[in-house]
Amino acid sequence: MDEKIKEEASKDNYRQEPKVGVYICHCGGNISDVVDVKKVAEELSKYPGVTVAREYPFMCSSNGQDLITEDIKNLGINRTVVAACSPSLHDLTFRGVLQRAGVNPYLHEHVNIREQDSWVHKLDHAGATAKAIKLAQAGVEKVRRKDPLNAIRVAAEQRVAVIGGGVSGMRAALSAAGKGLEAVILEKGPRLGGKLLDLGRLYPSGEEASAVVKKLEDLVRADKKITVHTDADIDFVGGFVGNFKINFKLPGGKSQQVKAGAIVMATGYEHYKPYKGEFGYGEAANVLTLPEFISLMKKLPAGRLEYGGREIKSLALIHCVGSRQVEGVHKPQADGKINDYCSRVCCTAAINTANQIKEKYPGVRIYDVYRDIRTYGMMHESYYEQASKNGVLFFRHTETDQPVVTSDRTGHNVKVKDVLTWGEELEFKADLVVLVTGLVPSDISLIKSQMKMPSSADRFLQEVHLKLRPVELANAGIFIAGAAQYPMDSTEAMASAGTAASKAGILLAEPDIPLEPFVAVVDEKKCTGCGLCPAECSYDGALTMSEKNGKKVAVVNPALCKGCGACVAVCEPRAIDVAGWTLAQFDAMVEAIAKE
Amino acid sequence: MKVNPELIDEIKKYGAFDISACFNCGNCTAVCPLSKEDASFPRKLIRAGHVGMEEKITSAIEPWHCYYCGECSQTCPREAQPGEYMMALRRYLIAKYDITGLSKIFYKTGWLQTWLTAGLFAAVLWLYNGYTGDFGALAGKIEMAFPVYVTIAIAGYLLNMYRHAIVKPLGGIKASLKPAHIIETFLHGFTQKNFNGCEETDLVRWGSHLLVMSGYTLTLVISNFHMLEPLDRQYSAFSPVSLLVWYAGFAIIAGGGVMTLRRLFKSAESSKFTHPSDWLFVVMLFLIGLSTVTTLGLNVLHGPADPLLAKVYRVNIAIETVWILLVVPFTKWIHIFFRPLAVYFQHVRKEAEAGTAFSL
Repeated sequence: MDEKIKEEASKDNYRQEPKVGVYICHCGGNISDVVDVKKVAEELSKYPGVTVAREYPFMCSSNGQDLITEDIKNLGINRTVVAACSPSLHDLTFRGVLQRAGVNPYLHEHVNIREQDSWVHKLDHAGATAKAIKLAQAGVEKVRRKDPLNAIRVAAEQRVAVIGGGVSGMRAALSAAGKGLEAVILEKGPRLGGKLLDLGRLYPSGEEASAVVKKLEDLVRADKKITVHTDADIDFVGGFVGNFKINFKLPGGKSQQVKAGAIVMATGYEHYKPYKGEFGYGEAANVLTLPEFISLMKKLPAGRLEYGGREIKSLALIHCVGSRQVEGVHKPQADGKINDYCSRVCCTAAINTANQIKEKYPGVRIYDVYRDIRTYGMMHESYYEQASKNGVLFFRHTETDQPVVTSDRTGHNVKVKDVLTWGEELEFKADLVVLVTGLVPSDISLIKSQMKMPSSADRFLQEVHLKLRPVELANAGIFIAGAAQYPMDSTEAMASAGTAASKAGILLAEPDIPLEPFVAVVDEKKCTGCGLCPAECSYDGALTMSEKNGKKVAVVNPALCKGCGACVAVCEPRAIDVAGWTLAQFDAMVEAIAKE
Repeated sequence: MKVNPELIDEIKKYGAFDISACFNCGNCTAVCPLSKEDASFPRKLIRAGHVGMEEKITSAIEPWHCYYCGECSQTCPREAQPGEYMMALRRYLIAKYDITGLSKIFYKTGWLQTWLTAGLFAAVLWLYNGYTGDFGALAGKIEMAFPVYVTIAIAGYLLNMYRHAIVKPLGGIKASLKPAHIIETFLHGFTQKNFNGCEETDLVRWGSHLLVMSGYTLTLVISNFHMLEPLDRQYSAFSPVSLLVWYAGFAIIAGGGVMTLRRLFKSAESSKFTHPSDWLFVVMLFLIGLSTVTTLGLNVLHGPADPLLAKVYRVNIAIETVWILLVVPFTKWIHIFFRPLAVYFQHVRKEAEAGTAFSL
């Protein structure tokens, strides 16, 4: 075991004779309307090893909790079974009761007689009561065989490594530093600022992108807790929560390492690059992508819109290039898949740009060819309305009838089968075609493969749960900031970066990180060293084969193990157990339930 | 079809300044009580305008089905004023069908027509005042010339409308000879009954409109047949001609008065936007009614030799002259023919589709 990982000091009463207290909760009628709770308590009080069995309207209330505390004090109860709601609701509540009363908190068993009994057997009161008795008895058998466990504590580096120095990375580093943590930004490019360096006036604030970058960069540079490495070429990421190591090369080939307790992935996105010939891109002159057009317009003076020495009097914006692609209609990407996701930000970006063109070059005719307009953000609809009022002419096509651009020396001819004009094929001339390209994830395949980070179907990094754990990766201690997760605009990216930094701050609030002790434990005497289990393990480095006392055995890294039990299932000599969920406990439970 | 973004800019010169805000949701068409499956508006016409489908617009008869109840404008989520757009289309079409091109100039230049009217009125009045012969006889000749002039003017319009709405899109001369269709056309012409197809019937608007219509038609009959000869004979207050003139005059004054007030106070959706030509129209109508009634009144009270009557009658004829020369052929007056004809053309189109239309 790593010297950094240790068990908490044991609060030990496991050598005492098990005295089990069983507590049946009414859940205010949710349970007691169906289950005869008095009968359950009565039956359980007669069960071997049970010292006391009680029922109460709300066990989770402070009065209910006090009931348990009193029994621990007066009757010497040292193990508890609470038959109530789902353990996901109140397992931690009752573990807390035990801990406060001086009993090891893992000597508690939570039995679910609501979701798994009263709610699903509403019409069969007698049957439900019998089932509750069996479940509670199985709980007693399990808790009697429980060993006291102690949370695993991992000493953590008080430092956050932020990969990516765009606005999300800078925002995340600033937030982490604000919480007193050290932050290290690793940026692969020569400058901080990322994609915003090439953008123009941003929606919805109307600020220049360069001004936003400057503001953030000034703050980052002034913060003593933040270290910035630009031109950093990462070649290795490893370790686990609290103890990550990142190796990177600086110009000149100098290698460096950052140790960090948490990693924030602020690796951003790339603009979709149209293939050669996509709407004439790369073949005909005067076909640009929106980001290319934006950086062009930044440099041009007002009055005359010019490209390639020619005045641009009319311009076509074609939406959804590289986004919302359709199987059979669009050419697949390099990995054989299409980009069927919506890139979200391009509609507003395109329309924001159209309005800026109308402002700077009022005479330019703008044709906007779209499938759906999705100006989804707060007040973004007003950009769309303004564009209409500015005389931007919109055309809508279906997913299968893509617009067609043909080009010659005089310019482009765009054909659209326009849904708004009852399916009529409309045709117009445009001096310039601007492809409103989508967003694709940046190439972080090296880091992703080394850390086994999960990807979504769209190839972006995937969070654990979009609503409940929106910035966390399944890899403990790694968080996502900004458009590395999915296409987002700078406003959303910075909000997400703040959240990621907060999560990292909570994780590193104490010098060591407590982890649940429900991890695989190998009985080295029984282990035959067959080597089947590491192949089953989904968590890289959690289970390895290694030499111990001249014998090949399976070794578990408790900081990486998730306690899934996949290794237990393949171990023929039953040499592996998940702590708190041992095979012996399950055997006893099955027996208790099956007993006549 | 080639997109022509200039068309909408052109239509905007006839009103409908907000129409670019339209995002084609179709709420206007859904809420319109007069829009039918076979004559759907305003959304389709707005889109046709946006992308520049000129033929679709010039052949459209839907603008004449619209009575501008304003529900579309109230429902429009983008406040694009579709009702006002339909009004602008009617002006655009009048200008389009006018062979002289004068309506186009008048509509686009706002007050030019008013100043021209005022100038012409002054000139004509000066001529009439300077005429030393028998003015009663001259007035008779002038009034008898009106129908000829008006017929030529209207015929030009109607032929043009027929050409754009029927001949061009249907590819030939087509007509409906069913008596029911012809009767319905006339019925619409006299009652404008579709007014009441608007969901919240605006009875005041329809009533004032009916008063003006009937009063004006009667005035037309009286003047074009030179029925009133105030300088040549004495009328009693209740002679048949007097009764006709009283009704015609007061109907115009009352109806025109209500219309003017509504425009002034913008009390209804339909009277929110007023084009200078609308003002000219109602004011002139009002003056025709007033001067006709005053003429007859002076004759009844003081006899045909009254010196004041001589002056007022000259004013009356001068107003009528200017009206016939400048207002009738070049403003919305012509819509009284277009509306029933649109109903008729609708039948022709349906019959042409079914193959039962008369064709040449």
